[in-house]
Amino acid sequence: MKAADIAVAVLLGIAVLTTMISCWALVLFRDKFQRMHYLSVVTTVSTFSLLLAVVVKEGWGQATLKTILVFFVLLLVNAVVTHATARAARVRQYGNWVPTPEEHISGADGDR
Amino acid sequence: MNLWLWAAIGMLMCAIPCGIASFRGEAIERLLGLEMMGVVTTMFLLVMAEAEGNPNFYDIGLTMSLLAFGAGIVFTRFLERWL
Repeated sequence: MKAADIAVAVLLGIAVLTTMISCWALVLFRDKFQRMHYLSVVTTVSTFSLLLAVVVKEGWGQATLKTILVFFVLLLVNAVVTHATARAARVRQYGNWVPTPEEHISGADGDR
Repeated sequence: MNLWLWAAIGMLMCAIPCGIASFRGEAIERLLGLEMMGVVTTMFLLVMAEAEGNPNFYDIGLTMSLLAFGAGIVFTRFLERWL
């Protein structure tokens, strides 16, 4: 077994393991705002590990370029979707997404 | 079976918690399960493309990532405004 094969195995293991942990965290955590954070673990750590595994195996080529494209699409898209989901969750819970004065969030009510 | 197929099986196993999350809790929590499933499916398709050794199959993963974005945004807006 060559060093490149070992590197690919380790990177794929990291990708699968972090995805598995994040998916179970989505089930086990109680608060929906806590659960949202685990989407970003998959789109950053797992996808980047997968990208590195493809780079190590294939070198520069069509497969690598497409994986890089998918990585950046997921990176950008997930931030937007997670923000939209958090906003929707807040609107459903409080009727408005703007923080209430009781929450004491610095800068949220113009007192920065 | 090569290493990539084992990784694809691992990714498929991740569908189980996503499915459980999609059937529990309130609507937003179920939506989170759907969004996670979109990302996991994208990664599964990438791994399968590499396992098959055909670079053209990567386009399916790319399409899936874009479609998952559309689905997530549509559902969030729908849940925010009308449900």
